[in-house]
Amino acid sequence: MIGVRRFTQAEVSAYGFLSATLVFCLLPFLWVALASIDPNASQFLSFPKGITADHFIKIFTANNGGRWFFNSLITVGAATAVVVVVGGMGGYALSRTNAWWKRPFLYAIILVRILPPTALIVPLYKVMLIANGLMGALVRSVVPPDSTRSAMQIVGFVDGYLGLILVLSAMQLPLALWIIKTYFDLTPKDYEEAALMDGANSFQRIRRILVPLALPGLGAAGLLTFIGAWGDFLMPLTFISSAELQLLPIGLFRAFQRANTIDYGYLSALAVLYMLPAVVAFGFARRFLIQSFTGGIKG
Amino acid sequence: MATISIENVRKNFGAVEVIKGVSFEVADGQFAVLVGPSGCGKSTLLRMIAGLESVTQGDIKLDGKRINDVPPDQRGIAMVFQSYALYPHMTVAENIGFSLDLKKVPKATIRKEVAQVAELLQLSELLDRRPAALSGGQRQRVAIGRAIIKRPRVILFDEPLSNLDASLRVQMRAELQRLHQELRPTIVYVTHDQVEAMTMADTIVVLNQGNVAQWAHPIELYRRPRSTFVATFIGSPRMNLVKGIIAGKESMPSFTAADGWTVPLAGRDLAAMHSQSGWLGIRPECIRLVDANTDADLSGEVVIVERLGAETYVNVAKGRDTLLVRVQGDIAVRPGDTVQLAFDRAGFHLFNQAEVNFDHSSNDLE
Amino acid sequence: MTYETRMAWQNRMLLVPAFVLLACFILIPAGAAIFISFTNDALNGFAAAHPQFVGLKNYVRLFSDQGFWNSLLVTLVFVFGSSVVGQFVLGLAAALALSRPIALKPVFNAAILLPNAVPEVVAGFIWISMLAGGKYSTLSRIVGLFGFAPQNWLDFAPLLMIIVVNTWRGIAFAMILMTSGLSAVPAEVYEAARMDGATARQIFWRITLPLLRPTIFLYMLVSTAGTIAIFGLIYTLTRGGPGGATEIIGIYIYNQSFSAYQLGYGSAVAVIVLGASIAIGAIYVRVLKVQV
Repeated sequence: MIGVRRFTQAEVSAYGFLSATLVFCLLPFLWVALASIDPNASQFLSFPKGITADHFIKIFTANNGGRWFFNSLITVGAATAVVVVVGGMGGYALSRTNAWWKRPFLYAIILVRILPPTALIVPLYKVMLIANGLMGALVRSVVPPDSTRSAMQIVGFVDGYLGLILVLSAMQLPLALWIIKTYFDLTPKDYEEAALMDGANSFQRIRRILVPLALPGLGAAGLLTFIGAWGDFLMPLTFISSAELQLLPIGLFRAFQRANTIDYGYLSALAVLYMLPAVVAFGFARRFLIQSFTGGIKG
Repeated sequence: MATISIENVRKNFGAVEVIKGVSFEVADGQFAVLVGPSGCGKSTLLRMIAGLESVTQGDIKLDGKRINDVPPDQRGIAMVFQSYALYPHMTVAENIGFSLDLKKVPKATIRKEVAQVAELLQLSELLDRRPAALSGGQRQRVAIGRAIIKRPRVILFDEPLSNLDASLRVQMRAELQRLHQELRPTIVYVTHDQVEAMTMADTIVVLNQGNVAQWAHPIELYRRPRSTFVATFIGSPRMNLVKGIIAGKESMPSFTAADGWTVPLAGRDLAAMHSQSGWLGIRPECIRLVDANTDADLSGEVVIVERLGAETYVNVAKGRDTLLVRVQGDIAVRPGDTVQLAFDRAGFHLFNQAEVNFDHSSNDLE
Repeated sequence: MTYETRMAWQNRMLLVPAFVLLACFILIPAGAAIFISFTNDALNGFAAAHPQFVGLKNYVRLFSDQGFWNSLLVTLVFVFGSSVVGQFVLGLAAALALSRPIALKPVFNAAILLPNAVPEVVAGFIWISMLAGGKYSTLSRIVGLFGFAPQNWLDFAPLLMIIVVNTWRGIAFAMILMTSGLSAVPAEVYEAARMDGATARQIFWRITLPLLRPTIFLYMLVSTAGTIAIFGLIYTLTRGGPGGATEIIGIYIYNQSFSAYQLGYGSAVAVIVLGASIAIGAIYVRVLKVQV
């Protein structure tokens, strides 16, 4: 009898704890979910008396929300593409090579992942300023004066798409390299050698054998890169100042700072919109979470 | 013509010398087997022929032309990998036809060629399946198909049967021999299983720790092994080896085992080996159990009896030596019985201290 | 060229883009941080145009700067409270609870994962509603149900609040790691213990916990390094205030560099943080015998 009671007691406390944790975890979301559809949304949790889709619609029709979303999509999407390609190539090379520089390179990757971006932001800013100056000179010599500004918006290093994309990529690259390298470590060389014996040149081997084989690894790296870059706050905060180029996290943040003109409904809808891609990607990437957190501790 | 010459080839991995000066030749259309225990370097040698490993020293020649620096895809050599390495995301048909597709051969031609190869290997029903949906034997045939569709001059096999179960292995051995007879490519085949080597090869290269222990026709390896290594590696069950001393200067030379029993060695000139210690080798099939009243060489006690139905293996102990005797059919002996053994004199092999067989005189090939 | 030489050359080429990206945007800035910390570089003022080498002046200034020590202390308390204690305890408890057969496991799992899945800014944003606004904030209303007075939580106990928020955010990480560690313990070990007559409490303290030690160590290391790097979450909530009460080191660097425009000084702080991180990284690699 005592044994049975103890078992039930443990179960009860497990359920109790989990339920409390569930409430703790989900409660903050309740407000933003409700406020996004509440025509009278305020900063505080309240049950809406009516439901409206206006806030979501307004994102794309007024107030820059659509612009921010678009900018985020472009830069984060491009960064993800860059990381998958560069990381794919690099991860493959790191897995297959036995050169002297393999171990130092891998240790360097671990080290880089430990460095807080906040510690790098200052010198990085200087580097980007210098690069921006050079790019500006290049652009001005090539492009007619009235298009200079739009050109710099695209290829500028500070306050330009190019710089931000490169920085976001660099931040996510170490993890991607590790994931892809680990993935290729588990893929035997046999397929590449068979393809070689079948007469495939490097390009054919990559396109027809390696990429299809590596898709799970590339997918994992791509998903985690997207999630990381999508949520990056520090980089856009530091490097983007003009309103037209602003990304979603900063737009949300700044809109929120304007104390007297805040439309909480709109902001909540924006927050939900910002949240969704990350949550969806997270859902797909769950299997790879351990790898991302430990960086493939087993090498 | 596709003759392969391996001339004094050496291979180092870093500071470790893995292949220590190997030389042999494979004639056009021959089925050559590289055999040896794990770590002897046979797979490395095969990969060097394929071009997947570089040659540290020495030459590999194809039809007399040195191919050390020719890239693997340009040697006209096909390889069947131990793991088969079938592209998992392609169907059987696509796997087999891949090499043709790479060369931009028209699709209709590819289909025809693939169909021909599939017919030859009994894969015609499986052309649309993916490798994951195939059994081990089927996958192996796809791997072979992928190799032969290129009509290569040489086909290399890297332990292709080791992943299959025993009965399938026997079946595939026959298949491979049939293919060889029909298509007649030059084949270099690596295995650690001496049964595969003996049954399929035209010529065998026995490797031990990076060296060629012996290179010969299978029967010659069986009848005239050059060292105790080859003698015990080839032939199953393995040859009995007894350590002892040779008395060569007597009118009747003899061999005395360490345990004291002696056998006469008639018809041999052993003066030079007098008082040397060495090994006497005799295969289980060259020993007979005889009745008490017949002339026997030795008597001993039965330790273990293994009955297989068609034959029986009897472990007989004499002092500290144990001899395995192969008997046809069944025999009524039990552990503890005393039995008489008679040796087939022609089946003696003598090995000196360096374990080299110095005596061939009575082992003429027929 | 032999196959091997060709492959070696190819590998080198394949890594060039990755190397360039990492070198330009991470390695070189890290090195430059050290250099800039020895100058009086700034974003405006005379020093911006003509930065001068000032030796260890920035570091000396650091030592007597109340703000710096405050930030260090805040960071220490923050890391300890949220990562070492909060996330770990709750994460371990969640992992243990979910290791049993429980109904609705995916629901609990998803709920715990959600705070980690959302971007930092959104997390900060939704907690403002929970905490700010005096008697209307959600937390005030909850404690009001128990008879406690409403507060301006972010003014009342800012450090405690950010610890709670970061704990909320990081439970998932600890839980996932602990779950993985727990699954490495074979079930037979528990069965043997039960046959030896051990109680649940004894099993936990004398079997489960010791067997989890390497996982716990790994968690502590990675989580600590990650928590030091936090910026957006807290910046959104409090911007480091009030009065520096929540100025974790990342925010301190940012404020010094971009608000006070003191690039040289900010770099000095950054160098110290970089050094600490490298030390953590070295421990990580050595103790856990990371294989590369």
